[in-house]
Amino acid sequence: MLKPYDMSSIIITGPKAIQEAIIRELHELKVLHIVEHSKNELADIGKPLGSAANLSEALVKVRALIAALGIKKEEAEFEPKKGLPDIMPAAKKLGENLNTALDELKKCQELISKNEATKQELKILKDINIPLEYFTAYRSLAYFTGYVKDASALNEEISKLTKNFMLLNSGAKKRSFIVLFAEAKIRDKVQGLLQKNSFSHVNFSNISNLNGTASANLQRIEDENARHSRKIVDSNKKIEALKNEHKEFLLASEMFLSRQLEKAEAPLKFASTQSSFLVKGWVPAEDLNKTIERLNKAGKNKVFVHFEPAKAHDNVPIKLKNPRFAKPFEFFMDLYSMPTYREIDPTFFVFLTFPIFFGIMLGDVGYGIASFAIFWLLKRKIKADKFFNVLMLASFVSMLFGLLFGEFFGYEFTHPIISREHEMFRLLYVVLAIGAVHVNIGLVIGFINTLKMHGFMAAVYEKASWIVLEIGVAILALSYFKKISVSPLAGAAFLAASILMLLKAEGIRGLMELPTIFTNILSYARLMAIGLSSVVLAVIINDSAKEFFHQGGVYILIGVLILVVGHIINLMLGLLGSFLHSLRLHYVEFFSKFFHGGAKRYQPFGAKE
Amino acid sequence: MAVDISTGLVAIASGLAIGLSAIAAAIAEKDIGVAAVGAMAEKEELFGKGLVLTVIPETIVIFGLVVAILILNLAKGG
Repeated sequence: MLKPYDMSSIIITGPKAIQEAIIRELHELKVLHIVEHSKNELADIGKPLGSAANLSEALVKVRALIAALGIKKEEAEFEPKKGLPDIMPAAKKLGENLNTALDELKKCQELISKNEATKQELKILKDINIPLEYFTAYRSLAYFTGYVKDASALNEEISKLTKNFMLLNSGAKKRSFIVLFAEAKIRDKVQGLLQKNSFSHVNFSNISNLNGTASANLQRIEDENARHSRKIVDSNKKIEALKNEHKEFLLASEMFLSRQLEKAEAPLKFASTQSSFLVKGWVPAEDLNKTIERLNKAGKNKVFVHFEPAKAHDNVPIKLKNPRFAKPFEFFMDLYSMPTYREIDPTFFVFLTFPIFFGIMLGDVGYGIASFAIFWLLKRKIKADKFFNVLMLASFVSMLFGLLFGEFFGYEFTHPIISREHEMFRLLYVVLAIGAVHVNIGLVIGFINTLKMHGFMAAVYEKASWIVLEIGVAILALSYFKKISVSPLAGAAFLAASILMLLKAEGIRGLMELPTIFTNILSYARLMAIGLSSVVLAVIINDSAKEFFHQGGVYILIGVLILVVGHIINLMLGLLGSFLHSLRLHYVEFFSKFFHGGAKRYQPFGAKE
Repeated sequence: MAVDISTGLVAIASGLAIGLSAIAAAIAEKDIGVAAVGAMAEKEELFGKGLVLTVIPETIVIFGLVVAILILNLAKGG
């Protein structure tokens, strides 16, 4: 609690002959966080083991198949067996089968999309009853295809011009499609007439090789497409069958291969000379003895292990250490940043305050029960235990605050100890007091952190100064409102002292930041504000449903509908708001007082993600 | 429900206090949010920091809310 696990830095070295045995042992131990060696004049990085090339080829193949078949990890239960035989040949055969099916699928899809374009043109020509081969290049004949406003008017106008023409049209209501054949020598005049009838040209590029009427062709293409569609369905079925048959095999192979490859490529992180290897890393202090013992056994006492505790400026990987009940809240550190080795791990504080803030904002017995049930169900479906444990605890605390506020789905079922709806100001003062306490806890943690890292005076200047500032402003305010009989000069003295301290610690920037401490505390007003908006919405939903209930009959159904839909929406908004704002109060207002972070997470070699 | 004009003006004033500050916060958060999502696309671990930066301007609305409540309260008292 408050401190991560103690870590020991460790150096393992030995002759190349035992390298593979040591890697295997480390992989099984799952305790060493390897620090990668980078090439220098003393030693190059190691070469992967001989098996690496084959393993990675097989892994690429298997992963490609998994991606092509669209297999998801959660879909299959599988046991990663040791020594899966003949992964490569099986994968190859599966790959061939899959490719045949995929090729077929692709071919059919291409044919259909090509047919689609032709189909569009044929649909326009469907009611024009002439063979398609007429649409070709003529020497003495010109033809026009397109839309005009009024085909009969056009017909009249052209018959005034010439008798040698043929006008076919398929009547649509507003625009009719026409095909007009006329002598080539009067092309320009006809074009003029067409223009007058607001003619828009339609180009047919896909039908030039077709014979027979449009409607016959259309029928043929429809048949073809139906055939292709059936083939597509067949191919998809084939692919689905392949997927179901082989998904366990593929996932197990993927796991097996990637773990083997991890071992085979481990020497890339080692330092290496011609005949020896060296690996640096970190091991939790409590696992140190076991590790040394096992390595000596695996290396037949030819291995040399050197270890020492972490030094002041080491970049130590962090393995958080918290009691079981606070463990889920490590999620927030994963999300934000790992604390460094020497600073206080705030997980426990987040565990204490996050559910409370969440509870104050959601604060309704009904919503608490509903969200608890939702998260309980989701936890069984989705594998994110930490996250849902946090939310379930927060929902439970919401129920408790619901009792305090006397709310059940917005309805005040009892005389509340404090009413969110009617006693806004009382609640505002309460949450601001909570904010002041929370921010000051942050400052105290910051004081301890700075004390450990930069000494007492730095801690006083950087962190205690803020507390002095708060005292100064508090005295000034209270004496101004005549609540206490202390001269405002005392407050001014505190204020001046704190400003000088901040100037010393942070320079001019410190002065500019002076008001932030108060804006930070004021920011906790959101605990009241989010809650208030949630209550008011719930009350509005209840009231409008009540109106319908009074009217009786069918209206009762509408009332029920309003209640259900309204409260679902309000609950979703409330959950989102409560979670994000509680998170924000920790990350912004609380963490900014002490947290540095940026450390690497402890990732032991051989452990699953 | 008939109210006199001064009550109406007080209501408008507090409405403006919160509405305008909400617009201001939205404009600020828009730009930060865009940048944060962009950064997250490159590097997923930045979610925590991105979230924090995105919600920083929200404090503006809280100020707006406090001012709105103060206005309502002043009207009640005076």
